[in-house]
Amino acid sequence: MFIDRLMNQGNAPLLEQMVKFTQARHRLIAENIVNASTPNYRTKDISIEKFQAQLRERVEKRSQSTPGSVGFNDISTEVEDPKRNILFHDRNNRSMEQIMSDQSQNALLHNLMTELLRKQFDSVQNALKERVS
Amino acid sequence: MFDVLQMGATGLRAQRTRMDTVASNVLNINTTRNEKGEAAPFRRRMAIFQAGAGRGSNKPGVHVKEIRLDPSPFNERFDPGHPDADAKGIVKYPNIDMATEMVNMLEASRAYEATVSMMETSKAMYNSTLRLIA
Repeated sequence: MFIDRLMNQGNAPLLEQMVKFTQARHRLIAENIVNASTPNYRTKDISIEKFQAQLRERVEKRSQSTPGSVGFNDISTEVEDPKRNILFHDRNNRSMEQIMSDQSQNALLHNLMTELLRKQFDSVQNALKERVS
Repeated sequence: MFDVLQMGATGLRAQRTRMDTVASNVLNINTTRNEKGEAAPFRRRMAIFQAGAGRGSNKPGVHVKEIRLDPSPFNERFDPGHPDADAKGIVKYPNIDMATEMVNMLEASRAYEATVSMMETSKAMYNSTLRLIA
């Protein structure tokens, strides 16, 4: 219980949700890449804006309620069919530039989140060892 | 999360099969006879892709659904000296266009590269996640 509270304080649950989100998005991006030549395939994505808006809402709710009463685990990540791309003759709406840039952005975000999470875990570990980092 | 690498493998396999069909088309661009030695020009092959990992699995990915024969008419050339020429001196050559095959080859090669790059990114992401534990 003590460790659980220690790990779930501050930004850690938010970072964890962002890591989960980037992993789910990476899976969709991977699917888009392998299906770049598949006729009738439509690209899939999850909106980062919608996800972050939901997170923001939860953070505001959490700050106004008792600690531990508002969780982040049930935030939905709905798969969307982005209609921003043009349709090719094989009825596939790929945009390789968009997919590759989304992939880089998502991977960077993932690495940033894991790095921040690691720093938080390190500081908890340092506190437990009574050591100044 | 490790299924992303598996998904990448399905993409690599599909693109390599596509490359094989292109290679077979290019090799047979002048083939006017079949395996039995009869005068039957080679028909162009096309790899038809379908979303999903295939082989009865419902996982995401891509697979080659079938290798279809191109039904378009054969190229006809006037060459009366050719042993497979008809009474009018016309020889039927395979319905293969070199430019189309080259474009297909480039597309397959680029798609393969994109998949490899996606797998490299996935590996970097796994590493960064694994460093949380280490």
